[in-house]
Amino acid sequence: MKAFFLLVFILLSSCISSNSYASEQAEQLFNQLKPSLYQIKLIDKASGEKSSIGSGFQISRDGIIATNYHVISSYALHPKKYRMEYLDNQGNKGGLSLQSVDVINDLALVKRDIDQEMAFFQLSKTTPQKGEELFSLGNPHDLGMIVVPGTYNGLKKESFNERIHFTGSINSGMSGGPVVNKQAQVVGINVATSGNSIGFLVPHDKLVSLYQDFLKAAPESIEEQMAQQLMSNQDKLMTAILNSSWQVRQLGEQGNIPIIDVPFIRCWGDSNADKADVLILTAVANCSLDENTYLSSHFFTGSIEIEFRTMQAKDIGANKFYRLYQQQISHAGAGNRADKENVTEYQCQHDLVMPDNQTINNKTIFCTRAYKKFPDLFDIIYLAASIDRKKQALVSHFTIAGVSKRNALAFTRQFMESVSWK
Amino acid sequence: MEIESTEIENMKSGTEKAITREIIIEEISRNYKLLHRYKLSQQQIHIGRDYHNDIILADPHVCPSHLSIELVDDQWKITDNQTMNGSFIENIKEKKHLANNHVVHDGDVITLGKSQLRILFTDHPVEPTVVFSPFEDVINLMRHPIALLLSIMLFTLITAGIFYLNTPKEINFSQLLVPTVSMVLGFAFWPAGVAFVSHLSRHDARIMAQLGVSFVFFNLMWLSDFLENILIFNSASGSIIPLFFMFISIALAFSLFWLNGYIGFHMTAKRRIIVAASMTALLFGGSYLVQYSNKPEFNPRPQYNATIMMPNFLMTSSSSVDEFIKGSEKLFEKTKKEALK
Repeated sequence: MKAFFLLVFILLSSCISSNSYASEQAEQLFNQLKPSLYQIKLIDKASGEKSSIGSGFQISRDGIIATNYHVISSYALHPKKYRMEYLDNQGNKGGLSLQSVDVINDLALVKRDIDQEMAFFQLSKTTPQKGEELFSLGNPHDLGMIVVPGTYNGLKKESFNERIHFTGSINSGMSGGPVVNKQAQVVGINVATSGNSIGFLVPHDKLVSLYQDFLKAAPESIEEQMAQQLMSNQDKLMTAILNSSWQVRQLGEQGNIPIIDVPFIRCWGDSNADKADVLILTAVANCSLDENTYLSSHFFTGSIEIEFRTMQAKDIGANKFYRLYQQQISHAGAGNRADKENVTEYQCQHDLVMPDNQTINNKTIFCTRAYKKFPDLFDIIYLAASIDRKKQALVSHFTIAGVSKRNALAFTRQFMESVSWK
Repeated sequence: MEIESTEIENMKSGTEKAITREIIIEEISRNYKLLHRYKLSQQQIHIGRDYHNDIILADPHVCPSHLSIELVDDQWKITDNQTMNGSFIENIKEKKHLANNHVVHDGDVITLGKSQLRILFTDHPVEPTVVFSPFEDVINLMRHPIALLLSIMLFTLITAGIFYLNTPKEINFSQLLVPTVSMVLGFAFWPAGVAFVSHLSRHDARIMAQLGVSFVFFNLMWLSDFLENILIFNSASGSIIPLFFMFISIALAFSLFWLNGYIGFHMTAKRRIIVAASMTALLFGGSYLVQYSNKPEFNPRPQYNATIMMPNFLMTSSSSVDEFIKGSEKLFEKTKKEALK
């Protein structure tokens, strides 16, 4: 949660460093590649003005252009409201049609009509070496096509869906642009930045498989394709979580909580033990999946947040302790952003629940909302507050976005059974 | 001093019985509230603005010697002294007409200037005696200074307790005092206001009774709140407890308004019920409307009941994980149905 990556086209960033050799090489590459580079624009039909911009690059001689899904997401969800347009290096404009998407890896294939065969980018067959120099291409802030040299730093650690860690400045508007090696082969696609020259790329093999699947059979409906991708991704994620070991760890003096031992869920902790005037001593551990899936600017999914909290009354009675405790658990909210168009309102139930091992007695709240466009996917909020000790409390809470009912219930059951008093 | 004038109007029998020498003249307001009552036993009665009249009216639209009523042949007869603004007779049998030479019937109302006089004979029927209702005893108990003090003290203690429990910081006595006292004064505003209105409308203010009754009910409302919390804490979602307590609080509000009306104003039982019911409807309907109009079109936050209490209040046994999961399963069906709409 703390290292939250903003999408390239949202965030602005700084500094381009280069040496003269690199810039010479970069210029050469740029001149060689620029005929196959495009700026991709979404034009709002009613106003006739662009509503979002990004970059793209041609990957086949018949006019297939690769870009980010998030560049064209508005068109994918509202094809009637927008149209897509490209702008090439000579200033020519033309329409585009959407062919296929991969929402999980933030990729999209669009197509321009061409009269004659054109030059296109070669996709690399190998992955780069750590430290290898790469060149990111794109059109930041609508300022014109640029090339940014940078370094390949392997895959991002602890990510569920692989991203390349690229040390180089990627800026808003460069989304969807290619990153090439010295042989001018595409090794990644610009997708996100977390500032200070830390950029993230989608590995080229995701694009290769998307393109090959597309050549085999083009999707009939983009929405159905997205639904399938979301469904199978959550299945993969939840299977990995449910099949991993859940280690018992102590929280505070008395609480036992599960820590899910998978690299892509990372935990942080905090407590107020240093403050003298608090009425309740609190220790918090929260764990989360550091990535989520962008569906539109109002709708994200795929996130997981888990939070545990122990509380111990200090100098106050049980009655006051429980009052303040209630205030603490009254405001649980969704872990992902979603709006009326995409989800229903939450439906909740609550009950007093004691697991069969009788180690804890909880007031347990479970809420869910359904996705409107992607049937059988749900957001979940779970919160359990212990009510069996007078001046101690253990709160266990999680939110999951975009899971199937079966996975949600399996996770909930396992979670409920693994939180207890010591 | 007060008399239900409209009632008497309706009860007028219309039969003309033997006229006695004594006559009652009531000065009444435009909405038939009694202002003064005179019982006279002379043959001739003079009414007007100057000081040799038997009944002196301060109304500037009344002439100095406006009219006289005289007993002739066992009948009272009105003589208008050719006044500027005239005198008129009104009763339930006849239309409003000039009063000159009119033979007075029991219950007739004479309009002169902007004043109204009602004439009654000694055999005019009166309403049956109103028995003290059992409420009177209860009200007397509640308005007793000791009882009143106790209920206000109880209210104060509960209020201070709630402030104390809800403050997430350490808090000292004086920090508690200010919000508590303002809360108590705020709540005292209601009975004081009712007493003031009844005073304005020429009823007895009875402020002690109003205060006593109101604070007892405020305490009952705290109690119902507390019971509601205990029951909600001990029950699963989907129970009827919130609905039940909704009815309890409506009933409490209605009873309070009814008693406020009973203490402060003279009105028929039916009218009192209507007034109390409409005030209750205004209170609950109003707050419902406010809530409804503030409700966003789409709420991205979950709405759940987080009531928890310390283990001493735990009275039920808990469900198992299986039962809870089964309950959660139903939510998926519900939201999915919603999504497909």
